[in-house]
Amino acid sequence: MSTQKTENFSFKKYAWNQFKKDKIALVCLYLLFSLVVLAVLAPYIANERPLYADYKGYKLYPAFASESRTDSIFKSDGKLDEILQYDITDWRTLDFNKVVWAPIPYSPSTMDRYNRDYVSPSGKQRFKNKNGEITDAPSKFRHKLGTDGIGRDLAAGLIHGTRISLMVGLVSMGIASLIGIFLGALAGFFGDNKLKMPRIKYYFTLIGLFFGLFYGFGHRKYALADGFSNGIMSGMIELMLSILVLVLSIFLFRFLSRLIKVDKLQEETFVPIDTFVSRGIELLNSIPRLLLIITITAVVERSIWIVMIIIGITGWTGIARFTRAELLRIRSLEFVQAAESLGYSAKRTIFKHALPNALAPVFISIAFGIASAILIESGLSFLGIGVPDDIVTWGSLLNLGRQNLEAWWLIIYPGMAIFITITIYNMIAEASRDALDPRLKS
Amino acid sequence: MLKYTIERVLTFIPMLIAISLLSFVISINAPGDPVERLAKSAESEGSAQEQSGASKKIKAELRKKLGLDLPIFYFSVSNLSTSDTLYRIQDKYHKATLEHLTHKSGNWSKVSDYYKELLSLQKVHMKLNSKDIFESQTELELNTINEAVNQVGFEINNLLETSEGELIDLSFSKIDDKLSNYSFLSSLNSRFENVKKYKNEINISEDKWRTYIPKINWYGSKNQYHLWLFGNGKDRKGLLRGDFGISYIDSQPISTKIWQKIGISFSLSLISILLAYLISIPIGIYSAHKKDSAVDKGFSLVLFILYSMPSFFVGTLLLLQFANPDNLAWFPVSGIQDPTLFDPEWSFWTKIKHRMPFLILPIITYTYGSFAFLSRIMRVGMIDVVSQDYIRTARAKGLGEKKVILKHALRNSLLPIITVFAAIFPMAIGGSIIIEVIFSIPGMGVEVYNSILNYDYPMIITVFTISGFLTMLGYLVADILYAVVDPRISYK
Repeated sequence: MSTQKTENFSFKKYAWNQFKKDKIALVCLYLLFSLVVLAVLAPYIANERPLYADYKGYKLYPAFASESRTDSIFKSDGKLDEILQYDITDWRTLDFNKVVWAPIPYSPSTMDRYNRDYVSPSGKQRFKNKNGEITDAPSKFRHKLGTDGIGRDLAAGLIHGTRISLMVGLVSMGIASLIGIFLGALAGFFGDNKLKMPRIKYYFTLIGLFFGLFYGFGHRKYALADGFSNGIMSGMIELMLSILVLVLSIFLFRFLSRLIKVDKLQEETFVPIDTFVSRGIELLNSIPRLLLIITITAVVERSIWIVMIIIGITGWTGIARFTRAELLRIRSLEFVQAAESLGYSAKRTIFKHALPNALAPVFISIAFGIASAILIESGLSFLGIGVPDDIVTWGSLLNLGRQNLEAWWLIIYPGMAIFITITIYNMIAEASRDALDPRLKS
Repeated sequence: MLKYTIERVLTFIPMLIAISLLSFVISINAPGDPVERLAKSAESEGSAQEQSGASKKIKAELRKKLGLDLPIFYFSVSNLSTSDTLYRIQDKYHKATLEHLTHKSGNWSKVSDYYKELLSLQKVHMKLNSKDIFESQTELELNTINEAVNQVGFEINNLLETSEGELIDLSFSKIDDKLSNYSFLSSLNSRFENVKKYKNEINISEDKWRTYIPKINWYGSKNQYHLWLFGNGKDRKGLLRGDFGISYIDSQPISTKIWQKIGISFSLSLISILLAYLISIPIGIYSAHKKDSAVDKGFSLVLFILYSMPSFFVGTLLLLQFANPDNLAWFPVSGIQDPTLFDPEWSFWTKIKHRMPFLILPIITYTYGSFAFLSRIMRVGMIDVVSQDYIRTARAKGLGEKKVILKHALRNSLLPIITVFAAIFPMAIGGSIIIEVIFSIPGMGVEVYNSILNYDYPMIITVFTISGFLTMLGYLVADILYAVVDPRISYK
């Protein structure tokens, strides 16, 4: 390698080049992108309302409008002709001058009452046309992947399920990485014998923690409960306030500790932060994860968000372990020591210098984590636990198929969707492991 | 070695405490009132009046038996305004109301006056008998009287269970309305005036500062957690001695229910783990031995894809293909025996023979779950071992390849997959919920599933706690075994 080349060497570029060599993984990456596109565009790919419609001279974009919208249609002489209520109008019976339907002209949760009781993709499908007659469905309005027992379109359900599965991966692993990287970095960087503080400060931090919890969470118990009963947003704001109180209280007491000048209490003591974190990881690891999640979902109310959050807060251990191990290695490298000897604060050293260099293996753990989060969520919806019944997910569709084995399309298609998505994530994770860290290559 | 073992066991104990605390916290946060649930399943028949008296007694007994009249933990952190005897109040909802009212006003003694007055108002109201009132006067019809009495009772109940200022005012005005309209309710007047007076005193008391001062109450060992874990030496034996409580569904002891169900789950997981080992070890050895050959690459890819295939999909697919009259009806769809044919008197082997077709698909699904994972671990472990110096030495001294691999390498590459064996016991108690549900196998998994659907919290918590304990025990044993088997492993 020439000097010129070495100078331009970038780890990111190198890793990307390595990754590109794995053709299967590259294909998976493209597939992932198309899944994301599918999820983002889901309401315009599968929607019972047309994308564009020219109705009695009015240009309407029903699929892009909100569901609660109402349009008044006037006759040419200015008299009110009819009122279109977007959520209850049966768009298929209207007489359009021109109309562009979504590729799948059904919404995931609307029940097509003419095609109830598990209509197969290739079977006879009925359709109510503009004149109110029941005929064979024209090919545009066929349920291309069949329907379930109450007439919901499977293809629409699958498309919208993509959203949920992506969101599960994103939200739960987002939470898990926040917790995991933070705790892992602290544990790895400080270990058991590097985080020193005067004894008095240590004690005061604990007292601050106590008061912070008391005022932030004990005293604000009802404010928090009210916030969450008003909706997830106001609950989150209350939660942020509580956390702010907690942090402020800790800082206040740490500041107060400086005012006390007793020699004996000024002795430095170690905070065994690594032991705390490692024990925490060990504890979480020793509880069967699915059982833990099921147990918690049994006592809280059913909501897809809560399921995501629970998957997140039980799934950070792998990320924390990787971050910890990486930082243990990195903290003895020259550049970190240089940063320390320049007198940078621990915060700056960790987050600006050490951590960015430790994230490569963590990324792999996150990718595997997304796969397992999706697996857990679909397992839960397969059992009908935690996720509300009215939310259509791949797991809940598969569950419908299990209850009626004749509806093979309800088994094969959702199952394949789950399987392919998980494979994609696993493949990408595996390939990036080989690319980012050749030592781990198996 | 001994030092390590002792150290390991010592760290094991705080972890057990942590698990028990975690499950206890989950269990006390379970929604609903356990006494109501249990009383419902034990309710006797009788007239409404009789029943309410009887069920009240039953409830009080249950509460005592469950230890719900005790404080929750050894200590509690509250603020200066709250009472340290609040836990003695029986009704869960009343307790919450009082807590909230105190939190709002900061004055427990006023709140308690208000509560006591409300209770005595309720008592006086209970003594009202619409029939007597009806007979003592002539103007009103029985229905009107009944309605008025019931409505006042309803509002009193509301007052006991709400802490929202507006709702309280609403109930007050409704009762006021009834009292001023119907003279037969006059016996309630003085009490009700008192109630309003006390409520007013709560409103104007300026003791809010008291809620900002933390207070720690110490209760000692007479608390719910202690009782749940260690028992009280009399009717409750405690979790540690195998008393897991009573199921909400049928009031059966949970330990009995678990013993009935655990056998099938345990044998299924044992069989499938053994099978998984039997299949995955040779595959792992072979691919490691022929590393980077076409066969190895093919195996790796296939295993990788299998690894991503969720077992609930595989199970459902198997059902669809092999237990479906439309395709191949080789196996029965559900259960583990045919109730019309099965005879409990049969010998062990006949039973096995009868159950075999029922169990094949579940065992395949079960095995499948661990086999792809195990093979991958086995392969990596083997590759790691084969590149070690002592294998090169073995080869150098002229040993045959077979002997090198099977005698020297295999033994050491088995170590990493020993850990997996530790997971078998918790798997037995938790059951593989998904697989048992798919194939309707009456084991622990289905039991847990049903208890979740029926909100049977004692069962869920018990399974959770025990499987946590067992997993930790498994890890402990595996770690110690490691240290015994592999002298290279030095733990500090």
